[in-house]
Amino acid sequence: MIRNLTLPWWAWILMGLCLCGFVALVVITVRRNRGMKRSLFAAPYTLWMILFTVLPVLLIAYYAFTDANGAFTLDNFRNFWDSNYESNKVILEVMGEDGAAYVTRGTVNVDTLVYSLWMAFQCTLICLILGYPAALFMADRHMKLGSTLVVLFIIPMWMNFLLRTIAWMSLLEDSGLINSFLKALGFNGVQLMYNSGAVLLGMVYNFLPFMVFPIYTVLNKMDYRLSEAAADLGCNGWQTLYKVTMPLSVPGVISGITMVFMPSVTTFFIPRVLGGGNTMMFGDLIESKFLTEGNWNVGSALSLIMMVLILISLSILRKADPNGEGGGIA
Amino acid sequence: MEEARLISLENVHKQFDGVTVLSDINLYIRKKEFVTLLGPSGCGKTTTLRIIGGFETADSGRVLFDGQDISGLPPYKRRVNTVFQKYALFPHLNVRDNIAFGLKIKKTPKDEIARKVDKMLDLVNLQGYGKRSVDSLSGGQQQRIAIARALVNEPEVLLLDEPLGALDLKLRKEMQLELKAMQQRLGITFLYVTHDQEEALTMSDTIVVMRGGRILQIGTPKSIYDEPKNAFVADFIGESNIFKGTMIRDELVRFCGAEFPCVDEGFGEDAPVDVVVRPEDVLLVGEDVGQVTGVVKSVLFKGVHYEMMIDAGHSIWKVHATTMQPEGSRVGLSVVPFNIHIMRPMQEEQ
Repeated sequence: MIRNLTLPWWAWILMGLCLCGFVALVVITVRRNRGMKRSLFAAPYTLWMILFTVLPVLLIAYYAFTDANGAFTLDNFRNFWDSNYESNKVILEVMGEDGAAYVTRGTVNVDTLVYSLWMAFQCTLICLILGYPAALFMADRHMKLGSTLVVLFIIPMWMNFLLRTIAWMSLLEDSGLINSFLKALGFNGVQLMYNSGAVLLGMVYNFLPFMVFPIYTVLNKMDYRLSEAAADLGCNGWQTLYKVTMPLSVPGVISGITMVFMPSVTTFFIPRVLGGGNTMMFGDLIESKFLTEGNWNVGSALSLIMMVLILISLSILRKADPNGEGGGIA
Repeated sequence: MEEARLISLENVHKQFDGVTVLSDINLYIRKKEFVTLLGPSGCGKTTTLRIIGGFETADSGRVLFDGQDISGLPPYKRRVNTVFQKYALFPHLNVRDNIAFGLKIKKTPKDEIARKVDKMLDLVNLQGYGKRSVDSLSGGQQQRIAIARALVNEPEVLLLDEPLGALDLKLRKEMQLELKAMQQRLGITFLYVTHDQEEALTMSDTIVVMRGGRILQIGTPKSIYDEPKNAFVADFIGESNIFKGTMIRDELVRFCGAEFPCVDEGFGEDAPVDVVVRPEDVLLVGEDVGQVTGVVKSVLFKGVHYEMMIDAGHSIWKVHATTMQPEGSRVGLSVVPFNIHIMRPMQEEQ
């Protein structure tokens, strides 16, 4: 693995220049303002960002466009479209023209990406369908139970994400709680784990609060007189909901969708635990490239593709909520 | 008279979390009447309005509309519309769609909606504002849109919850006259809530003075100003000197150490009473001919008149006059019998 860290001399110089530039910026700021300025308090965070966000992203880009020897190549991206690209290349090199018959195009990576997007889409939709009414209920000012419900939604978030997922295992397993219960009643056991449904369940369970809270915040801030005005002008409960409440909660919904969709697409670990290797999502694929295969170059290319996709979907969502009223990251 | 009653409240009680906000409210509103609920904040006037609008339900008692009990009817089934305190315009709709909102819900034909909305924009003097977003309008303009949005539905009663509270003084005065003119032109019943006594006096046909969840007095602006039922009403409506006094016999009252002839009778002999004298009704006369004498303590110039505080030994008199007496001078005070108003002392409720 260490060989991956042997960077070319110019990469080290680039990183050095980045650091020098940062130090120079700090020094210039201090001297120009003849002392401490409030902007200086942002310096630790800026340094942190440069070290742990900007540099790694640059490194990913570097790995994505180089091969194992550090030479520039686009093969990593060709590998994404055709997962048999590497082996095909060997076949063609050895057999020449005759090898063309043995060349096949593998679509594992693209399939995984499509599957991930599909799973993320389903997860987001289910979270929205479950989360919106919950948020509506929590934000209802006549509902004394609302604040209790907020706490109930937060409590699971106090527990570790891995722990929560593993807890589902003991529920769904063949010898788990649900199956033991069914067997005790005389039924046959059901296979609950190791399928897409279980993965989806785990994802919805983990990401639901990220849908509920942005919507709840927007609804809670909304002037209740607006719904009264709607009722006054002839709207019954449902009409008030879809003529006034829903249009006004769009920023929260956008924010919720972003905050669920993004981690859903990049999910890993949940598919491995609840899907038991029968399902693979894009996050798992990237992880396996890095940790199992040790192929940092292909892994980086996949990460870069993921990043671009997320940026595109974010910019689409940003159009729907231009003022960022949802308080989210969209 | 009975059939002209459009809305009646009968023995309405309301509590919030064990605190009584309305007790035993009995009130009726006639067709085409401009009724104002007037009182300090927390007196229950807004709650009364919200009960009529359907946003709150009374704990007991009945609300009648055209003789029918509507106590259990949700707001969208009531033939009233509300102008809310902070307008409550829909921020996601433009001016036109805000006004058209109620008509669209009722599935009015498109051309009719367009015609009615245009008429409303004319009425509130905002022609050409249809495409604007409501956030881009000033407070006064938003206020007009809120009124147009309610009126376009041709309600039988328009409920207005302190609609001018957020406007500056000059705009408020303009809007008062405009609202009154609008009400007379359209012939719609207005139920208006305010804590501004001047506003109530300017606009109303009938004023309902409320305090602590009770109705203290119902009457025309003039009768409430001239004949307040008790010291609170007298103090709340306009400025007044309120003195504790004794009714010696009919048409003679004693207060501030002197006996005053008056026109009230029927209080009994030697009965304790509250006496109201409006500051503008106190006459400044020579020291030797005054019913009471006192020393001018302070003089304030108020534009139309001077406001003088006069110390008459055991009492302080507030006097409005167009001529000024210098501070420290001794003056005589005199009140004609007709301007002395006698009230039964207020029993402190609660």
